[in-house]
Parts: sequence; C-alpha cells; structure tokens
Amino acid sequence: MSEQKSVALDLEGIELHYGYVKALDGINFKVNQGEAVALLGDNGAGKSTLLKLMSGVHKQTRGTIRVHGEEVHFHAPKDSANAGIEMVYQDLALVDALDSATNLLLGREILRKGPLGWLGFVDRKKMIAEANAETELLGVKIANLTRPVEMLSGGQRQGVALARAAVRVNGKPNGILLLDEPTAALGYEQKVMVEGLIKRLAAAGIAVVVVTHDLPLAFNATSRMVVLNRGRKVCDVQTTETTYEKIVGYITGALPAQEGI
Amino acid sequence: MKKPDSLSVLVFIRSWGITILLIALWALFASTSPIFGTFENASLILGAASISAIFAASIAMGVFSGALDLSVPGTAAVAGIILGKLIGGGFDPFLSIAIAVAIGALIGYANGLIVQTGLNPLAVTIGMLSVTSGLAAILSDGIPLFDKMDTLGWLGTEIYFGLPSTFYVVIVVFAIGTIFLTKTRGGIRFLAAGGNAEALRRAGVNANTYRLLGFILSGALAALGGVVTCAYTAQATPTAATGVLFDGLTAVALSGISLAGGRGSLPKVLVGALVISTIGSGLLIMNIQPYWTITITGLLLISALAGEHYLGKAVARQAVGKSKVSAHKEAK
Ligand SMILES: Nc1ncnc2c1ncn2[C@@H]1O[C@H](COP(=O)(O)OP(=O)(O)OP(=O)(O)O)[C@@H](O)[C@H]1O
Ligand SMILES: [Mg+2]
Repeated sequence: MSEQKSVALDLEGIELHYGYVKALDGINFKVNQGEAVALLGDNGAGKSTLLKLMSGVHKQTRGTIRVHGEEVHFHAPKDSANAGIEMVYQDLALVDALDSATNLLLGREILRKGPLGWLGFVDRKKMIAEANAETELLGVKIANLTRPVEMLSGGQRQGVALARAAVRVNGKPNGILLLDEPTAALGYEQKVMVEGLIKRLAAAGIAVVVVTHDLPLAFNATSRMVVLNRGRKVCDVQTTETTYEKIVGYITGALPAQEGI
Repeated sequence: MKKPDSLSVLVFIRSWGITILLIALWALFASTSPIFGTFENASLILGAASISAIFAASIAMGVFSGALDLSVPGTAAVAGIILGKLIGGGFDPFLSIAIAVAIGALIGYANGLIVQTGLNPLAVTIGMLSVTSGLAAILSDGIPLFDKMDTLGWLGTEIYFGLPSTFYVVIVVFAIGTIFLTKTRGGIRFLAAGGNAEALRRAGVNANTYRLLGFILSGALAALGGVVTCAYTAQATPTAATGVLFDGLTAVALSGISLAGGRGSLPKVLVGALVISTIGSGLLIMNIQPYWTITITGLLLISALAGEHYLGKAVARQAVGKSKVSAHKEAK
C-alpha cells in the first residue's frame, strides 16, 4: 500500500436532476489513489448516476468535480478517459464479431514491423501474445482469446470488458477505475478473480470505485464503503470499522444517516 | 439437430453453405445442358458475374461498416455519364476513369456527412439515388453516350488468358478489399465501427471516420461498377439500373453476412454474385423466360435472410452452451 495518498476524485455538493426527479442530493464523495471504495445502495439509490457523473456520461446540476485537485467539466466519456478515468459500463461495450484479444487491444492494435506495418497491417501473433501477457499480469483468466466475444457466455464477456478497462488503467500512475456491478453475471471463481483484481490494482496505486450489490465482494476487496439512500449519502466508513449488519441497515434505511455527513 | 456435434454442422453450413449451393447449381445445370459446363460458358458467366460482383462489393462495404447505401445505381450512372463525356471529349482514358471514380467517392462522402448529422441512412441514400439519377440525365440530356466508348474494350470486353477483362478488375478489387478487412488496423476498426461504434468510441477511436470511410468506399466502388458497365456495353446510359442494387444486396445476403453490419467476408460476397449469374445463365440456356431470374433472385434474397436468421440463432445458442463447458475445463 502506498502511504502518501493523493486525492484522485473529489466530488462536492453534487446534485443531479433527471427532469423533475432529483436523483442525487448534496453528495460529497472522495477517493484516493491506491484506495478501493465500494458504492452501495438499493435499486434506484443513485449509484450508477453518480458513477456516470464521474465518467462524463451525465453532467451534474449543481456541485463541483475535481480530478487530482483540478476542477473538470466533462462533456463526454472521452473527456474523462483523457483525464485517466476508465469505466466498465453495465452494458459492457464489446464488439461482438471481434475476438477477445482484439477487443482488449482495440484502439491500440499492434502493427507489423517494416513496410507492411506502414500500410497498417496488424501483427495477429503479437496481439494475441500481448493480450495474453496483459491479462496474465492482472491475474485475469479469459476463456479463449481468439474466439469472437459473441460466442462467450455473459460472465466471460464481463471478464473481457473488465480486463480491457483494467489493462488500460494499469500502469498509469494516476489511473482511476470505475466499475458498475462488475460481478453481476459472474460465477464463484470469477468473482474471486475480480476481488483479487480490485485489490491488486488498488495496491498498484489505482483509485477504484465499485458499484455493487454484492456485500461480500465489497467487504473482501475494498477499504472504504459509501452507502447511498434515495440520492443521499447516508454512510461513509472504513471497511474495518463497520459490520455487515450496519451496512445492510444503512442500505435499507433501517439505520438513520450517520451524523455530520 | 440436437446431436452432440450439431454446432460444428451448423458452423459448417454457415461458412460453406453458399459454396455448396454454387457447386450444386453448376452440377444441376451441367447435367441438363451440354453447353453449360463448357469453358466458354464459364467465361461468359464470369463476365456477367464480374459487374454484379463489383456492385456487390460496393454494397457490401457499406453494409460492413453499418450502412446500407441505396444510392449505388445513381452514383454508377453519374460516374458513367461523366466518363462518357470525358472519353468523348478525347480525355486520357486512365485520367477519365480516375475522375469518374473520384466523383463516386465524393458522392459517398456527401452521403456520409449528411447521415452523420443524425438522419436515417436509408432515407438519405434514397434521396441521393434520386439526386444522382436526375443529374446523370441532365448531364446527358437523357440520351446514351456512344462517342469513342468502344475504345474502352480493353477494360470491358477483351479476353486475356481465356478470362474476361472485367474479371481481372474483380480480382484486384476483392483482393485489396479482403486484405484491408482481414489484415489491417483500418479493417479491424472499419468492421468494429459497423458492429459497435460506441465500443470503438470508448476505446478512444474516432468511429465517425470509419463510418464515413464506409460511404466513401461504397461510392467509389459504385462508380467503378458504372465505369466497367460502360466499358462492357460500349455506351454510357443515363438511367440508373436499380437491378444492380438488388443483385448486389442478394449477393451480400447469400454470403450469410448480417445486414446489421460489423462483419463480412468479400470472397463470400463474390461466391454470392457467382450464384446469381449462374442462375441467370442456367435459365437462359435452359430456355426459360428471363423474368424468372428476377423472381428467383428475390426468392433467394428472402431465403438467404431467413437462413441466416435461423442459423445465427442456432449457432449462438449452441456456442454459449459449449463455451461454458470449455471455460470450466480451463479453470481446473
Ligand atoms: N435516464 C434517466 N432518466 C430519468 N430518471 C432516471 C434516469 N436514470 C436513472 N433515473 C432515476 O434516478 C434514480 C437513480 O438511478 P440509478 O440508475 O443511479 O440507480 P442505481 O443506484 O444505479 O440502481 P441499480 O442498483 O438498480 O442499478 C432512480 O430513481 C432512477 O429511476
Ligand atoms: Mg445501476
């Protein structure tokens, strides 16, 4: 764990309206480099909405967002990508007809050496080797790198989408990774793999925000938990200083919001 | 269909069905007529297939990148008339051909730009079909141009090494296209733009560029089709031949390529074009009314779409079942 923690993302006084619906109300949210934070809450609590603000899909009605201390105004996902933020969406965004390796390396394909490379010829062998190496480094297992992703199961597709974001953010000194329900379609083994991945990325200095309904995952992989309830933040604690029961209480509303939040 | 290896059977049919159909048609026609199986007839079929194949490539490139370009016949007509004017005016033939093709690319570029403002591609390209058809008629006063067009015989009617000149054009177009699609970064992104432009965008690539490229290539190939048609018939006709649209579309559908975009194989499109020409030629030799060709082409289009729909679903169902099994094995 890196000791000196700089603030990666800092959201202050965030309010967001979908028309008349107030989806987020006065949210303050911070995540440091090297920290994995779980964002919890019931269906419709506003988790995805908050995440989409951080990735530039939506724009807040009120409040400020700072990345590495500087205020930002995202107008599109590519703005947040330029700021070093990667997001895995619930809808995955894979190209069905392409295989996993190409999906992983889309946008940074490896070209052949020499004149063929100047003409834009790709080096398939190197791409597969590179995809293999990158996923290995992350400890992510992908069923078959050369099979079109349309022929993969839902969980395997999720693995590819996750690996792609992780690969892109890994190695960036100030990378930020946003995950929206990354384990929704995963079996036991793959879930353990994702837990490991989140921990390793955080240890490598990446700031990770995980939206999830999977409390064991949150307890195993993150060091801080933030609970939303109907668009308000009701709890913000270190994982080691809370219990499963308390968190469930905040999520359902059985417990009142923490003091001074 | 529920046999253990039904996936491989389905995948086999999906990848080879069209080739099997072509061979079956040849066998059928060859057995009913002695003329059909001759080298001369094969060469004739190739000649007829070649022009359809160029138009099929034009439509296919659009489809692969996610847009069905219906303006193809109009673009071909304009390119043909411009070629006719230039050749008639004594211009260098190569330069004239290059200008005609460039104008096709320009029409495609215009299509692409208009579509990217958010308009429906089908509607836009139908509009462009009218615009270009009208332009072709205006430029030629509505009458075909013959002047010096017979000087293009080297491109349209000559036979080299037993094969029609037009077929060599097809080989060049399809070889370059196939290499582009399967071997290059541009090809990967081109197909990705047709399959899931959003994914490409999130990968940091400008997807609009590649969708625009689809329209440009479609327009340029349509113009090339128009040029070769002029060379083949030794005249430039101002009327847009909408038949090429249906033949081309049928060739693409026969090749088993989803019209939704994102995937595609040009060699299969070529086989599709050959199937259509074979049917045309076979029926002609068997003395069957040529109108049947049109009807049969339509039936082929519909059955190809139905077949692809069924096969695609069946393959996906079976493949997911299999992949779970193999993933489990690998995890151990
Ligand atoms: N595009 C939209 N237009 C209008 N209202 C929306 C929109 N998206 C979300 N909402 C509303 O905003 C609130 C928060 O939605 P959000 O998707 O952020 O919930 P969530 O916490 O991610 O829920 P889940 O766990 O079900 O994914 C909900 O009341 C939802 O109905
Ligand atoms: Mg959500």
